[in-house]
Amino acid sequence: MLVGNRFRQSLVTHTRLWYLINAKDQINGRLAAYIATVLQGKTKPIWHPKADVGDFVVVVNTKDIAFSGRKWDRKVYRHHTGYPGGLKETNAIALHQKDPTRVLWRAINGMLPKNNSRKIYMSRLFLFEGEDHPYAENIYAQLEAPASMPKKLDEYTKEEFENYPKLF
Amino acid sequence: MVRGGPANRAVKRAKVFALAKSFGAKGRSKNVYSLAVRMVQKSLQRQYVARKTTKRDMRSLWITRINIAAREHHVPYSVFMNQLTKNNIQLNRKMLSELAIHEPRTFKAFADFAREQHKQGLRAALK
Repeated sequence: MLVGNRFRQSLVTHTRLWYLINAKDQINGRLAAYIATVLQGKTKPIWHPKADVGDFVVVVNTKDIAFSGRKWDRKVYRHHTGYPGGLKETNAIALHQKDPTRVLWRAINGMLPKNNSRKIYMSRLFLFEGEDHPYAENIYAQLEAPASMPKKLDEYTKEEFENYPKLF
Repeated sequence: MVRGGPANRAVKRAKVFALAKSFGAKGRSKNVYSLAVRMVQKSLQRQYVARKTTKRDMRSLWITRINIAAREHHVPYSVFMNQLTKNNIQLNRKMLSELAIHEPRTFKAFADFAREQHKQGLRAALK
């Protein structure tokens, strides 16, 4: 074993890191589950229930997030204003048109533990509807989103398309 | 009837108050004997339990940490530990979690080994 402070040797392990995630074509809930684990620090082997080791996460392209099935029309987001008869309901597509980061924000918020540390974790989350974000120099690495999306037909080159095995 | 009181009442009370102070007594439980003695008894009982649960809690923490580190290399905890025991690598969970934090490359070697062994086992089973 090397001589010296073990903490200093493994500095990157103990530092709070900034990660970038591209939300394009990702399923909302699956992406949210992954981001929630990163925010809690549950992807690091130094995790401890009483120590806050969570990372920063920057998510871009939230306007291109996906839902499976007919959830854009059917999924309902509710909140109560506090006044009598103040239960407000919107479906996912209406909420998404109003604010393209809100659908993912609510999914992540719902997947974090409901205690005082939720606010701290959520303060380390930055959602952007497009490609642009002001944290480029903080970013340590880009994380691979959980679902690897299949290639679309127009993304194949002509050679690949011709050499693809055909049944008939 | 002779009643055997304590040899020195002041010493007995001082011992209880000293213990109460060490357990972080607040308010009247650091000055009032009847409250202090109850607090000390409860604290000693909890200490006795905690000496046992600490060992379980630490083991579950090590397991969580090994799982996190192993999944980084695409091996779940169950497969990882199973392959290590099968191949007679007798490192305990405490040391494996220490390796995962402070010597990640050593841990990666174990994870890669476990994954390859698991794949070979699956192939053998298919044949």
